[in-house]
Amino acid sequence: MTMDGKQQGELPIISESDIVACRKVIRTLSTNAGFGITDVTRIVTAVSELARNIYVHAECGKMRWNIMHQPGKIGIELIFEDNGQGIADIEQAMQPGFSTVKSMGMGLPGVKRLMDEMRIDSIAGAGSTVTIKKWARAR
Amino acid sequence: MFNESLSVIKLKNILLVTVPDDPGDDMIYELQNKVLSAMEKYESAGLILDISSVNVMDSFFARTISETTQMVTLMGGHTVVAGMQPGVAITAAELGLHLGHALTALDVDSALEMLNHNLANAV
Ligand SMILES: Nc1ncnc2c1ncn2[C@@H]1O[C@H](COP(=O)(O)OP(=O)(O)OP(=O)(O)O)[C@@H](O)[C@H]1O
Ligand SMILES: [Mg+2]
Repeated sequence: MTMDGKQQGELPIISESDIVACRKVIRTLSTNAGFGITDVTRIVTAVSELARNIYVHAECGKMRWNIMHQPGKIGIELIFEDNGQGIADIEQAMQPGFSTVKSMGMGLPGVKRLMDEMRIDSIAGAGSTVTIKKWARAR
Repeated sequence: MFNESLSVIKLKNILLVTVPDDPGDDMIYELQNKVLSAMEKYESAGLILDISSVNVMDSFFARTISETTQMVTLMGGHTVVAGMQPGVAITAAELGLHLGHALTALDVDSALEMLNHNLANAV
């Protein structure tokens, strides 16, 4: 359970400062859910990469979060949604070093290594949804 | 978060910058600008970035540190990144980040030693 017992919510990603806002909220939530410090850092770093991808590649969108309870474990699910240009070739976007903006192309492949589960759904021209999950043993 | 500002401290011929725990993009740009103007103003021989409070380092932050290091090198200085938290180091390695030509040290003390040693050898 999180501090106030809330199990889901969402935050807009419109400006650069929303990237920090998303990081702060998810740091508190994942710490309260019982993730260890290294996993909290992994989750918050993944949030930073995906929120920035929305800001840079799609202009605006939102992050939804869910705290998931299963027998013996607790998880966090984060869904990054936008109505931007979409990702034409998801497999290519997942290759380390691939970037359409001459950046490092480390974001998406890096996030996959940091999280337990990752899924990208996208329709070229209509938007993208990136869903990530991380699990911890229940306390 | 909004009033937070960075200060660049001059210690003899070395600059020391302490980075706050969760720096936003504005602050990361400010860091680069302030460091470069202080490098020029004081003709410093080295830069220490104390990141011991930093609890998240994403690809944007790493890229800016790496760029800043490159600029400081072109201006004739060495850069040492000091005090990276273990969780941040693990995450950075998993994400595949690197800090370019920046040297790294466990803490500010060893960073100072490193720079002084470098400077002594350069003379
Ligand atoms: N939300 C998104 N909407 C549209 N395209 C996206 C989105 N996220 C990622 N992409 C596409 O996938 C590519 C790879 O993304 P990735 O985060 O790996 O690299 P990058 O953002 O280009 O660089 P880096 O994250 O290293 O600064 C991007 O260059 C972009 O073309
Ligand atoms: Mg990216």
